[in-house]
Order: sequence, then C-alpha cells, then structure tokens
Amino acid sequence: MFPKRFVLKRLLLLVPVLIGVATLVFSILHLSPGDPALTIAGERASQEFVERIRADLGLNDPIWVQYIDFLGNVARFDFGESYVINRNTTVREVLSNTLPVTLELALYGQLFGILFGIPLGVLSAVKQDTITDHATRVGALAGISVPIFWSGPLLILLFAQVLGVFPTSGRISSSFSVSAIRVTGMVTIDTLIAGEWDMFRSAVRHMLLPSLVIGIYSMALISRMMRSSMLEVVRQDYMRTARAKGQGAKITILKHGFRNALIPVITIIGIQFGGLLGGAVLTETVFAIGGIGTLLVEAIEVGDYPIVQGTVLTFAFLFTLVNLVVDITYSYLDPRIQQ
Amino acid sequence: MPELSAIRERGRLVAGGAVVGGIATPLLMVGLVVAAGTPPMAAAETAFAFGGLWFGFGLLGWAGSVASGRAVEAAQEHLETGTEWTERRSRRAMARIGGFGGGTMVSAAVLGTIVG
Amino acid sequence: MSTETLTDGDGQTTSRGLVDRVRASPFLSRLLSNRLALAGLAIIVAMVVIAIYARLTLDLDVISRSQLGTNPNRAAPNLEYPFGTDGQARDLVPRVAYGAWYAMLFGTVTVGASTVLGVGLGIVAAYYGDITDNVIMRTMDVLLAFPSLLLALALVSIFPDSLGLWRAVAALTLVYTPRFARVVRGAALTVLENEYIDATVALGAADPRVLVRHVLPNCLAPITVQSTLNFGLAIIDLAALSFLGFGASAGTPSWGLMLSNGVSQGLLTGVWWWSFFPGLFLALTVLGFNLLGDGMRDALDPRMREAVD
Repeated sequence: MFPKRFVLKRLLLLVPVLIGVATLVFSILHLSPGDPALTIAGERASQEFVERIRADLGLNDPIWVQYIDFLGNVARFDFGESYVINRNTTVREVLSNTLPVTLELALYGQLFGILFGIPLGVLSAVKQDTITDHATRVGALAGISVPIFWSGPLLILLFAQVLGVFPTSGRISSSFSVSAIRVTGMVTIDTLIAGEWDMFRSAVRHMLLPSLVIGIYSMALISRMMRSSMLEVVRQDYMRTARAKGQGAKITILKHGFRNALIPVITIIGIQFGGLLGGAVLTETVFAIGGIGTLLVEAIEVGDYPIVQGTVLTFAFLFTLVNLVVDITYSYLDPRIQQ
Repeated sequence: MPELSAIRERGRLVAGGAVVGGIATPLLMVGLVVAAGTPPMAAAETAFAFGGLWFGFGLLGWAGSVASGRAVEAAQEHLETGTEWTERRSRRAMARIGGFGGGTMVSAAVLGTIVG
Repeated sequence: MSTETLTDGDGQTTSRGLVDRVRASPFLSRLLSNRLALAGLAIIVAMVVIAIYARLTLDLDVISRSQLGTNPNRAAPNLEYPFGTDGQARDLVPRVAYGAWYAMLFGTVTVGASTVLGVGLGIVAAYYGDITDNVIMRTMDVLLAFPSLLLALALVSIFPDSLGLWRAVAALTLVYTPRFARVVRGAALTVLENEYIDATVALGAADPRVLVRHVLPNCLAPITVQSTLNFGLAIIDLAALSFLGFGASAGTPSWGLMLSNGVSQGLLTGVWWWSFFPGLFLALTVLGFNLLGDGMRDALDPRMREAVD
C-alpha cells in the first residue's frame, strides 16, 4: 500500500533541486560585490597574503572550473571551512551544531500551529458569522499582523521580566552542560533520552516562549486557510445532498467535510514551512538562540561565503524533505495524486 | 517510463532555450566590454554567472513542478482559484528557461577559454 | 439572505447622488458595511496623518542626534516624555512619529514599484500568451515558492550596503512583484476574453492602446486589493530586514531599527518602552492594512461570505 515508487521518484528529485539551488547560490555570490579573499584576510592584510588566500581558494581559476569544483563539493556536502564566524571549523561541523536548534524550534512551532490552527478554523467555519467566528478571524488577522520581533519581546517582558516564570533567552540554564548527553542536538529530546529531569524541565521552559511566538503566526495562517477551505467544501453539492437526507448539519460537516477540507490545508502547511524557517531567523535573534537562522544572517553580514552556501543548501534540503512528507500524507488523503 | 518521443520533445525544448542562450552570450559580452569597459575575461565570467541564475532557476522550477505539480493542481482546482496552472505547462517553461541558462553558461565558458 | 445589503433608511439621506452611486457599486457598498474594514481604514488614515505631520514639522537631524545632556537617559514614560527616552536620551515620541513617515514612504515605494512591474509583466503575459505567458508566469511561480523573508535576505546581499533602506526596498520589490503579476494576468485574461477586445484588435488598434484603454481599468479592483494586502506585509518585511541589520543605517528613526536597538540594548535591563512603542505602531499599521485588505477581498469575492446553513 505504501507508495514506494512515488517516494523514490520524489527522493530522486532532490538531486536537481539541490543542483539548482547550488547553482543559484554560486551565481548570486559571484555577482554580488565583495572579495572573499579580502574578507578572510581582513582589511589591513598585505597584498601578498590576500593573493595567497586567493590561490588557496582557487579563486584564480576561471569561474566555470570553480563551478564544477563547487558542485563536486556540494555532492559531498563539503563546503570547506568557515571564513570568519568560526575560523578553522568546517561548515559541516558548524551546521551540525546549529541545525538541530532551528529544527527543534520549527517543529514545536509547527506543532503548535497545527494543533490550534485546525480546530480554530473548523470552529470559525461551523459558527460562521457568529461572535466566535468574528473573534477567531480578527484574532488570526492580528496574529499575522503582529511581527515576531515585537510579540517575542512582549512575551519576554511579561513572562520573564514581570512574572519571572520563564527564562528570557537561551536554550537551557547555563548551569547545565548538554554536550555530554548530546544525541540529536535537540535539547528537549536529548535530556529526555538521558533521563535528566531537571535539565529536561529547564529545556522545556526555555523552548516554550520561542515556540509560542513562532507558533502563533503559523496558527493564524492555518486557521484562516482551514476556515475558507471548510466553507468551500460545505458549499459543494454532495454536502447539500447529505444535509437534505436529514442528518444534523454540524455532524455532516465534521464527518464529510473535514477530510476533504484538510487536503488543501496540508499543501499550504508544506509550502508555509519555508515561511516558518524565515520566522525562525527572527525568533532566534529575539531569544538569542544560536540556530541556523542567525548563522545565515551573520554569514551574509560578514561575507562568510562557505557558511552562506552551506546554510542555504541545508534550508533547501529541509524544505524539500518537509514537502515530501506533506505529499505522502496528501497522497493518503487523496489517492488520485499517486497517479 | 517516458517514451522516446517524450524524451525527444523535452530535448527540443531544452535545446531551443540553449540555442537562444548561446547566441545571447556573445552579445551580452560584447555589450559589457563596449559599454562598461569590462575586460573580456571578466565579461565571460559575468555572463557565466548570469547564465547560472537562469540555469539554477530553471532546474529548480522544473524539479518543483514535477515534485508538487499534481498537488498544486489539485489544490487549485479544489479551491477554484481560477488560475490555469498545470504541471505540464510549468515543466515546459522551466525546460526552456533552464536550457537558456545552460546554453549561456556553456557558451560563456567556451568564449572565455578562447579570449582568455 | 446576506447581511451586506444596505438598510432602507439610507435612501432618505440628503446626499442622494452619492448614496446611489455607492449602492450602484456592490463592491463599495459591501466594503462600507464591513465594520472591520472601516476600522482598518481609520487606522491607516490616522497613520498617514501622523506621518505627514511628522515629516512637515519635525527636524530629522534633531531626532537622529543623540540628546544626551538635554534629556534624561532611558527615562520611563511620564508626562513630559509619554513614550519615554531611549539609550541616547532621545525622546521616543517624535522618533516613533517619524517612523510612521518612513514606513509609509518605503512601503509605498515597495508596493508601488512591484505593482508597476507586476502589472507590466501580467498584462504582457496575458496579451501575448503562449511562450511569453508561460515563461513569465512560471518564473513568477518559482519566485513565489521561495519564502519571502529568506528570498529577500538572499537578494539584499546583491545590492551595495551604501543604499541603506533602499537596499531592502529593492530586494522586497523583486520579492513582491510575482504576486501582482499573477493577479493582474488573471484579471487581464478575463477582460481579453470579452469579445469587444477582439473587435478592437480587428479594427487595427495597436497593442499598447488595447492594453491601456481596456485591460488596465478593468484590473484596477484586484490590483487595489492586492496592493492593500501586501502593503502591510511590506511594512513588516522592511522592518524585519532592518531588525536583522539589512536596512536603515544607525540613527535612522525607522520602527524596525528602533525595535532592534530596544530589544538588544533595553529589554533585559527593563527599558521596555524603547521597543514597545515602535512595535505597537508597527503592529497597528499592519493590522490596519490587513483589516482593510481582507474586507476588500471579501467585497470583491462575496462567495466566501455565503452562510453555511
């Protein structure tokens, strides 16, 4: 029953996606101003030193040779060493430290958004044009309108500063060391595996506000989408027929409409995952959580090209994988997709 | 499995784009050299990166259409958005764009090797 | 059935002409009966007034300069400084007010430029059809598939630092163009399908005339809705880029930069007002545009407003 060929085909498509993104990143970095050799050497370095770095990096080769080399490196997921941010550390290592941080944040945020967004959307549709509906819609609109870099500080202010119930920043209390129990790199999971309950509690308390901030936005989008999709389905003929047969309207909606209404929403969840990664960049900055998002911003600012290349390709890889998962879910709900 | 005619058709789309790209490249390079005073080798490198933008874009778009085309089509049909987005049309457009970029890159590399 | 139709009493007002005209336009009458949309409009008007007032009466040099020595440093909101003062002892009231001007100015330029680009591309795609259409629109589709903030971050690095906030504007214009192109193409196609356009073409009217005279006026409604909805998003994204350090240069009273400084330098030391007020105005403005835009979309497409039962 499991659509093996479908999944295989989709996994194979990762290859052109990654080559495409790699080519784009390569071209954009080449077209943008700034000399990598000068970035590494620093402004005051001697001309010879800059020249030597340039030769080391292969920047004297024609661009097409550099491009082929770069594609080869991408295939091995090897972007060399960081120029500025973490000197003498491979990009792979930097990424393996920061990626789980962002993943953890995005997963909890997405979970929050789905768990609350879908019921709210259904509720809003079922109670269309009542106070509940209006309140939900305005709430969702406000959720989209309030920027993460304002709601985050507000929550910090309220829960961390005034009430003092949650920590203001970071991932876990600084009195704990998580490096010893590192398995996945996600603190809430690692501490759970190790059975360190105090550390686990601390990690959860640290994760709560950031996940909430990122989740509110996701929830607002999902509930809006769910509402309109639900209304759309309800208006279709077979729903009218079902109602005419005398079943209670609300039960009909829940039983028949929900599954069909979910289909487009699931696609949107996949597409919107990219937006979630964008939100993670801002959330990490607000809560001083060193994830892949802040890494990307910093790398662009200081011109750390290997890090930029590594992060962007990781983002593309993640985005594609999430959409693959979404599509598999989707193909169960709507078997026509499998062909 | 795609049949021979389908492969031939795809090849035609890519090649069509590539020819346009191949012809456009020397024009772009001459333009850069004459108008901006860029050295010929640098002009070839810029043309290559420019082609890379289109190639990467086309490849990404093509893969994206093949991967989620059906799902997007179904979602749009479902929501009656009125757009007539189809996977097939998208794939064909992307093959052209990617071909154009690829042609530009190859042409720039060849010309660059000659002038350099 | 629908709650949108105007009540009977309206016809008796003195300004009959206007009422009739509003009634004749189902779009306007539906929009005006939407209280949320009107609230959004009120917020926007208020912000525009603040922006223009700030631009005309306030001196940017004074606002940007540090006022250590004249004002108290990091003063909490009080009667003299209702929003408090920041880390350089600057009064936050004029800074936040001037921020409205920046948000409106840069928002307008971003949305305006992407509207023009999008309208051009959309109309050309719809009119010429076939390969032109396919290549333009599929390119737009791919751009749309990228997350907007990440795409903007990638594009920002292409433009030189010295452009300041204009760098963010340029990047966001490219990010927003596809949304307009898609909407305009759809609207233009419906217009072009009407027979009278065929007749005009048959009579030998040149392409640009057909486009401008017939297609453009008929796309105005969807373009306006799209512009309104995207205005709010553009203001958020501009502020986000400033927040991340890719926009306004130091000292500029833009909401994004004030928020960034307020959060990084003031939040943990209890100087909450530094980031609170710029953020409040930013969120209100965006909410205003989203409320109005949502109302406009509903008014344009009343299908979504049908009752369930």
